[in-house]
Amino acid sequence: MTPDITNIVFVIIKYLILFGMGLYMVFATVILRQEQLMAQVLEESFEPVLRVAAFFHLAAAIGVFVLALLIL
Amino acid sequence: MVVVTTAPDCCTIAAMPTVFTSREPDLERTIMSPLTSFAVSPEGISFETQEKEEKVALFLRQHLIVLLGPALLVILLALAPVLFFPLLFTFLTLPFEIPINYIIVGTAFWYVVTFGFGLMSFLRWFFNIYIVTDKRIVDIDFIHLLYKEFSEARLDKIQDISYKSSGIFSVFFDYGDAYVQTAGGDLPNIEFLAVPKPAKVVEAISELLENQKSSL
Repeated sequence: MTPDITNIVFVIIKYLILFGMGLYMVFATVILRQEQLMAQVLEESFEPVLRVAAFFHLAAAIGVFVLALLIL
Repeated sequence: MVVVTTAPDCCTIAAMPTVFTSREPDLERTIMSPLTSFAVSPEGISFETQEKEEKVALFLRQHLIVLLGPALLVILLALAPVLFFPLLFTFLTLPFEIPINYIIVGTAFWYVVTFGFGLMSFLRWFFNIYIVTDKRIVDIDFIHLLYKEFSEARLDKIQDISYKSSGIFSVFFDYGDAYVQTAGGDLPNIEFLAVPKPAKVVEAISELLENQKSSL
């Protein structure tokens, strides 16, 4: 492939990746919200650990999105 | 004196329950742990519509074995960037070289998605619960991310209880499906799917029904 075509392909891939990661952040937010709602249905001592895991997951999704914005 | 012994399925027996009159060891009170899937008169558990004087007699989740598939998949997904992808790229010839920044972002995103899959699988198992109280049977299903179902049947509406355990895994790990049929067409039948010790579940519900009938 010529360098011009390769560059265009990578720009398209970059925006597709950012779009996919944006959707994934929405998914991670929904998981966190759903976990909070389910915690109201069932009160259990282990639930705070799951909430931390869901927060961590959302933070990681945002972190990877920011990383992609910075280095791609 | 309270005797504490370790029991299978990640639970610990502490004392005789107040809801059951049976003296069988399997129907003794259970102390909850995060992986508990069969608990008798558990402490530290309450649910949304629980009444003040209502006591939880039996708390069930699906058998831990249902988490085996997702756990194996998570392990495979975690190993893929280290073991399988380098192997794949030795056979695959691309017309261009993948820049290192794309590899870094791709790998990081892969692990986030793998963690997300593991978390979702665990949440589905954790919040998919069956509760038997001294008044009713409650089935809370967390089918997927945007779908939650709550159904209940009062003990006096229960008509028939049965269970089914089939297959090598079911027999070996002692799990199966318990079915609770309710009287009246508009009330839902409740299914306890892949719960541990289905025979004990049926036995415990029968005992509660008998207790309720004798108290009337």
